[in-house]
Amino acid sequence: MKIAVCLKQVIKRDSTLRVDDARTWVRDADAEFEMNEPDAYALEEALRLKEQHGGEVIVVSAGPARVQTVLREGLARGADRALHVESDALAQADAFAIAGALAAAIGPEQVDLVLTGLQSDDQGFAQVGVVLAEKLGIAHATIIMEVKVEGGALRVKRELEGGWFQWVGLPLPALLTIQSGINTLRYATLKGIMAAKKKEIRRVDAPAGVAPRQKIVSLYFPEKTKQTRMITGSPADAARELVRVLREDARVF
Amino acid sequence: MSGIEVWLFRLVFVALVGWFASQMLTRYRLVMAGANNLSLDDVPGRVQRLVTEVVFQSKVIKAKPIVGTAHLFVFWGFCAFGLYTFVGFLQGLGVVDLSRRAWFHAYQAALVPFCLAVLAGIVFLMIRRGIARPAALGATVSRESIMIGFFIVTLMVTFLLEFFVFGHQASPTVAARVNWWVHMVLILLFLGLIPNSKHLHLLVSPLTLFLKSPQLQSVPNLDFEKEEVGFEALKDLPAKARLDAFTCVECGRCQENCPAFATGKLLNPKALILQNEAALLGGKHDTKLVDLYDENVLWQCTTCGACENQCPVGIEHTPVIIGARRGLVSNGEAAEYLTKVYNTLERHQNIWGPGNDSRQKFITSAGIDIFDPAKHEYLVWLGCAGALEADFQRSLRALFDILRAKGVTFGVLARERCTGDVAKRSGNEFLFQELATQNVDDFKAKQVKKIVTSCPHCLKTIGHDYRHFGFEAEVLHSATLVARLTGGAHMAADETVTYHDPCYLGRYAGEHEAPRQLLARFGATVVEPERNRDNPFCCGAGGGLLFEEHEPGKRISEHRYEQLAATGASKVVVGCPFCSIMLKGAAASANANTEFVDLMSYVDGKLKQAGARPDAGA
Repeated sequence: MKIAVCLKQVIKRDSTLRVDDARTWVRDADAEFEMNEPDAYALEEALRLKEQHGGEVIVVSAGPARVQTVLREGLARGADRALHVESDALAQADAFAIAGALAAAIGPEQVDLVLTGLQSDDQGFAQVGVVLAEKLGIAHATIIMEVKVEGGALRVKRELEGGWFQWVGLPLPALLTIQSGINTLRYATLKGIMAAKKKEIRRVDAPAGVAPRQKIVSLYFPEKTKQTRMITGSPADAARELVRVLREDARVF
Repeated sequence: MSGIEVWLFRLVFVALVGWFASQMLTRYRLVMAGANNLSLDDVPGRVQRLVTEVVFQSKVIKAKPIVGTAHLFVFWGFCAFGLYTFVGFLQGLGVVDLSRRAWFHAYQAALVPFCLAVLAGIVFLMIRRGIARPAALGATVSRESIMIGFFIVTLMVTFLLEFFVFGHQASPTVAARVNWWVHMVLILLFLGLIPNSKHLHLLVSPLTLFLKSPQLQSVPNLDFEKEEVGFEALKDLPAKARLDAFTCVECGRCQENCPAFATGKLLNPKALILQNEAALLGGKHDTKLVDLYDENVLWQCTTCGACENQCPVGIEHTPVIIGARRGLVSNGEAAEYLTKVYNTLERHQNIWGPGNDSRQKFITSAGIDIFDPAKHEYLVWLGCAGALEADFQRSLRALFDILRAKGVTFGVLARERCTGDVAKRSGNEFLFQELATQNVDDFKAKQVKKIVTSCPHCLKTIGHDYRHFGFEAEVLHSATLVARLTGGAHMAADETVTYHDPCYLGRYAGEHEAPRQLLARFGATVVEPERNRDNPFCCGAGGGLLFEEHEPGKRISEHRYEQLAATGASKVVVGCPFCSIMLKGAAASANANTEFVDLMSYVDGKLKQAGARPDAGA
């Protein structure tokens, strides 16, 4: 089974963020980066599928030179090789452009399965996976909590709202967007890190002239506001209303 | 001696010395086949240790005064008899007969008290080993031990007979010759039996002790450029670990002091060393260490260091255990409970999870400056617990208040990462070096010269392990610094407490007096628990075991809690965030309402309580 896993590099969650001068993104010149967490689960799932069914895991990322760090990390954790769609313009591209760039790299590989994280920790569009499936012309399923390969096809468990799950069958090749917590992540081993140094990261040209479909108009920190609301009525009604407000509006319990 | 006797003795001598030498050669080759990790830093310290621990047998005696003294007698006797044996060989081999010289008679006379001391010592030790049989010595009594015991008795008796009876005869009788032969042949037989028994320690323990690192738990960094990944198979054991295996005297002090063994786990540090010895002699060079040892023992070690610290012959257990853990971790075979910790550390640089925000809130609310070398003398290192543990934060606030009251200037780093203690002790060297390198860069950028921390694990990691990254600073535990700052304080004792020495403070840093001084100064009478000062019983958290939820056997923390509770004190003072977590957990399981208080909170509380009284406090 040949599996491609898309990895995004995002700013470390613990970082202290500052908005950039254009007020459309955060200042990332001196930021620390890490692998998008849902993508780490997608990679882990791919490695597990490879351990069960054999094959190859290819990690793919689109972005400037710095994203090679996450590709190297993916290789250290057990991926066999990496594809890097390198372009500085991709650092702040929208989901459509990223999906196009990833499709350019993955398309010629003729993979059986593409895994992405459900969404990214920074922008959280949850779009790259589904757009990529469309571009590759393959079936897709989202929010996946379990993957089974049965007779050349997939049976996957999707997470619905309210604690419900749904099993879906789909043919291969396919794309799945993986939900965090689907598995237990492995840690990077010394042997893996040493082996990763010898693995290939192949550069792929970014498709030219992709016009952005979206642009960030403005970025700001949540504004803190104080609101006082008087609850009137009889003590019993006021108490009932207070409980409702605390539960539904303030969501304290 | 007749000509025939000389030739016969030469024959016996060559045969038995040859037997001895061939066995020794085997072991020498096995030791030298290991990677050379023999280090000779701090020669004066090593010589000093050799004198106290070999010549005066301080470690042997300290733990067990009576047995140790008996051993001291036998040891000194052996040394005293060295020349006597040598003269005997010269005579027997027909080189020169010095036995009739006047000085030799004086020497013999001087040997008599040594001889009696050896006899007394060995008879006592034989009774202990053969009849009393303490558990640490093992279930069976080795035949060799008993035989060698009788050898020693016979050697002494034949010496006494020679000196008091046969030596005065004008011409040697048959009985005198038989006596001489028995003495000499037994010595040679003894020599031949030495290499394959625990008695090899007679010859090699001074060397092993000399080569033992002056620093407890000295586990050098792996060199990734050389593709070092830790010890995977027996062949990876370095020279010192091999020498250790042959030196073990099987006394069982490591086993007796091991918290894992005491609570019914499979780990037995003595068994581990003897398994190395057997495997080396058995030629199992390609056998994986994990297959050599009992199941899971490598993950049961808290790295408390008791085994290594108590060993009288210089064996270093922790480098083997941590080295073997590294071999497993490098292959992705870490214990399950560690996988999550490693992921958390990789992602958040804190053992418990994202701590940056809560750390920031804490330092803001405590009003602490960011460290500036121009303004601050000390950098206060908060540690992972400082970012996320409410109780430990209380203790840090107490430390801040004490330092402010004493006019000490200090600041904290804007951001901290875990020192890498858990990664280092549990064998994740890559993660450890990542964290250490970045922390050392931060220290250097901030020109940090003095660090104070309330976490003994951070103390060991920054103070000792970071030296390998070229970082030398004065690193103190808060107890040490505060004891220095409050020298003049005296409050009348008004309560009884017990104090739990953290392993990484009492044993590793040797700091067990400052906490007691502080408690005495600030109104506490300390009742000592079993196992204290430089040989405390571990709380169970070290070496990554803080995260092990399914501990086999009894919980180490419960065992320690019982020892503390047995003092009768209702308040336990602790000096480590890990110990605090473990012991509180154990107390909660026991439904006890013992009060736990960190040393700094205790001192600060007393200082504030006495704040209005000018006669108290310093």
